[in-house]
Amino acid sequence: MRESVNQIRKRSVESKAETVTTSSAARIGVFLLREGNDASAVLDFPSIADFAAQLPDVSVVRTIAVSSAMDPEKLAIEIKEATLNTIVLAANHPGFYKPAFSRALALAGGDGSQIRLASFGERGDGVSTKRAKGLITCAVQGVPFKPNPTHVAATFNTATLVIGGGVAGIQAALEIAESGHKVYLVERTGTIGGRMAMFDKTFPTLDCAACILTPKMVAVSQNANIELLVLSEVQEVSGGFGQFQVKVLKHATRVDSDACVACGDCARFCPVTTASEFDMGIATRKGIFIPFPQAVPNTYMIDPAYCTWVLSDGKKCGACAKKCSKGAVHLDAKDETVELEVGNIIVATGYDALDARRVERYGYGTYPNVLNSLEFERLTNASGPTGGKIVMKTKKLNKKTKHEEWVFEPDGPKPKAVAIIHCVGSRDKNYNAYCSRVCCMYSLKFAHLVREKLPEAKCYEYYIDMRAFGKGYEEFHERIREEGVSLVRGRSATVTDRDGQLYIHGEDTLAEHLITLPVDMVLLSVGLQPSHGSDELAEKLCIPRDGDGWFRELNYNSEPNTTQREGIYVAGVCQGPKDIPDTVAQASAAAAHALRSIVGAEARQRAAALQTTLEAAALAARS
Amino acid sequence: MAVRANPELIDDLERFGAKDAIKCYQCGNCSAACSHSDDPYVFPRQSMRYLQMGLEKPLRSALDPWLCYYCGKCSEQCPRGAEPGETMMGMRRWLTSEYDFTGISRLLYRSWGAELATILTVALLTGIGFLTFGFLGGGGNLSVYDGPSAFLPPHAIHVFDWTMGIILALLLSINCIRMWHFTMRNERAVPVSLSLYASFLLLLPVHFFTQKRFRHCENKTPWTNHLILMLSYLTMLTLIMVFLKEMQSGPQINWYAHTFGYLSAIGLVGTSIFAIQGRIKKDAAYHRHSHESDWMFLGLLLFVSVTGIVQHILHRAGLPMAANITYIVHLMGVVPMLALEVPFSKWSHLAYRPLAIYFAQLQQAAQAEGATPFGRPAKPQPVA
Repeated sequence: MRESVNQIRKRSVESKAETVTTSSAARIGVFLLREGNDASAVLDFPSIADFAAQLPDVSVVRTIAVSSAMDPEKLAIEIKEATLNTIVLAANHPGFYKPAFSRALALAGGDGSQIRLASFGERGDGVSTKRAKGLITCAVQGVPFKPNPTHVAATFNTATLVIGGGVAGIQAALEIAESGHKVYLVERTGTIGGRMAMFDKTFPTLDCAACILTPKMVAVSQNANIELLVLSEVQEVSGGFGQFQVKVLKHATRVDSDACVACGDCARFCPVTTASEFDMGIATRKGIFIPFPQAVPNTYMIDPAYCTWVLSDGKKCGACAKKCSKGAVHLDAKDETVELEVGNIIVATGYDALDARRVERYGYGTYPNVLNSLEFERLTNASGPTGGKIVMKTKKLNKKTKHEEWVFEPDGPKPKAVAIIHCVGSRDKNYNAYCSRVCCMYSLKFAHLVREKLPEAKCYEYYIDMRAFGKGYEEFHERIREEGVSLVRGRSATVTDRDGQLYIHGEDTLAEHLITLPVDMVLLSVGLQPSHGSDELAEKLCIPRDGDGWFRELNYNSEPNTTQREGIYVAGVCQGPKDIPDTVAQASAAAAHALRSIVGAEARQRAAALQTTLEAAALAARS
Repeated sequence: MAVRANPELIDDLERFGAKDAIKCYQCGNCSAACSHSDDPYVFPRQSMRYLQMGLEKPLRSALDPWLCYYCGKCSEQCPRGAEPGETMMGMRRWLTSEYDFTGISRLLYRSWGAELATILTVALLTGIGFLTFGFLGGGGNLSVYDGPSAFLPPHAIHVFDWTMGIILALLLSINCIRMWHFTMRNERAVPVSLSLYASFLLLLPVHFFTQKRFRHCENKTPWTNHLILMLSYLTMLTLIMVFLKEMQSGPQINWYAHTFGYLSAIGLVGTSIFAIQGRIKKDAAYHRHSHESDWMFLGLLLFVSVTGIVQHILHRAGLPMAANITYIVHLMGVVPMLALEVPFSKWSHLAYRPLAIYFAQLQQAAQAEGATPFGRPAKPQPVA
């Protein structure tokens, strides 16, 4: 039968005097904690355990997987049996587990403060078995660990690569470029701007998103230090801090961006129509298109997956090239691979929205007027399919496919009631257990937009907790309540369709009543998840990701912008869900990290050059 | 008056199978997902809250746990893994032990060791008892199975069965009165007139025999399975309580005893195996958790059904001694099963569920007529 805590305490109190007097020599227990993330996988735990076992004063070495066996009482029994008086906790982030061990050591009658941390995750430079052994040796002997001075390349490349052209990438690029240093900004889609360019208004100020973003976008296009590569993807990364070699695949836009004036003649004659990615599929674009009118670079581009000329190997169409008065269209342009040499890399790859089809009971994908948050952003945006009017979808016959489709038309019917559901796929162990942080605020923003554009419409918001944590956020929350939005505390269970009318069913947990409400449109506040392709990028960069797939920062509290690899930094949502102010702040911080190394390297170079000059002068003076 | 909170309640309920209720963050998805939840009985969220806050009195007075049929849809949708379905099941076990005036139910639910020991002890006593009776008071000859000079003569067993039945019914009735007192005479309940009690009385047999509320669950399989199990059991019970003589009048047995006996035996074995393999495979949300009392019940049921069938086979095969021995083994299963399950464990729900539905209806009817709760007397009328 398991010993109770009281029994353990009783035994340890009785023998405490014994522990203190009989032995003043350290009896050290080394506990290796396997955290089950990417960084742990690199280490050779058996070898580290063997090494630790032969260090002086070490009596016990245990390797524990941290998902289990963190019971202080169980640990206390082990500690007592081995009569340990000092514990070395060795892990990537051992501080996280220290409380359990402090308690265990105290329960066993020892001094709970005799715990030393051997933190593999500190100080960047990558984790390695050799380094881990060094850290443990120092912890066992109670001396601080001083790593060798970072080997800085003799030639430090002062250019920086920024991966991702959203607001984080743009901000980081501008910070570095405006200090006079070169930046390569690599963006996967055809334009920079990212998610923020899709939004209509930002919370809590209700600023127009494009109005605050486009000046930065234009600054990027005009800054001579920024080389912008759109429709480009990082293929390979080699080298190290100060000397990264990066291969980037530039997909051909088939349009010369210097010649193109974005007049739109080509698109008028293009026969191909397909869903617009920038509009999240609620609007269409042509085979030759510009993602949105203020795109940077402000140029059209061809989508080879749908282009008739490309698909017919040059035999059909080609109308765009014929109609372009500037001769900007080069249909036979090829993809090219470029090699960049940079000293620092900033990762700013942003996020994707959770696929709401996974939450079947809300009817996304089944009912036409159930939208996710990004789709609604595009609907209310003036550059969207309805010019910013909030309307319901209407049935229309597609003349090409002869199928009936539900589409947004500017003269579509106005919804009389709109419901917004929070926490779709977030805070839910069936999807993502974490909170996506921004949804409460953007849901309030949606409610405001609905009430502003449709004053006659009823608006309901179903939430579990209202997270309005930032500056001005609580005031925004109060304002939305006062604007006449019905906030219902309770997570909806279903959205159903009865005779063509949508009904949303949930419990108002404050009033303790079940409510079924007829609504015309349902907006799903979907959670954020890492951008598709993050896993491959993490492998190429050799940086770890956390349990939810976001890029792992070096230390959540003290080093939130750096990764475990020196020279690679993270900025924006790719490190974890956050709003625009925090994204921009983190981007500037990542840029500061990069600039720190660049300025340091330049200073060293100047010092070395000065030294050479002085030595030469001294030599000349002597002769 | 403020309600007192018992912070230990949630730990206590852990022994009754409700282990994850602490994880609930009261989002209300479960109550909205439940096909039975309807004003004014909106559950399971409120019940989870009572449990989290240690509101023992409101929980003891609650009818909600009995209105749940554990389809498991709430647990499937719960974002926290708080298992509201199993928590409601745990509450039903707890309520059973609260209604029980002897304290036996509480002991058996909280300690599977005690339950097992009790079953084995009662079984042993039963076996010794019947063996002794058979040799001394009964037919005396182990090789006689049929007729009045059987080893276990039907008229004597008949008396035993009815005596045991009356005792168990009495115990259960006392517990039902306690249930009535907790649920219908608490501060939030309204007084119900005798005429209302009479007018809704038919609800009791209707729900007892059909369990028709079960059909509102999306998945119809549990209702079907339960109905077959219950009807098979009732059939077998009737045969034994009323037609025992016919079952031991061999070697030719009455055609109706045969037919109904076979049908109910198949029903009993089939449904118990179906439930057992469901619990092993954890094929549905309501099968994911099994308290020891769930296994003991199914085990006993299967044991009793199988020994009953074997007994019949041996009898028809012309092996009366083996049949008699099997009969005794069969009784060693029947007696503990009934003695434990009916007043103190799972089978008490045969009374509590219909009563809960009846009481819920009475409360709603009384409130519609304008009755005020016991805890809040009507305002005095101004003197004209």
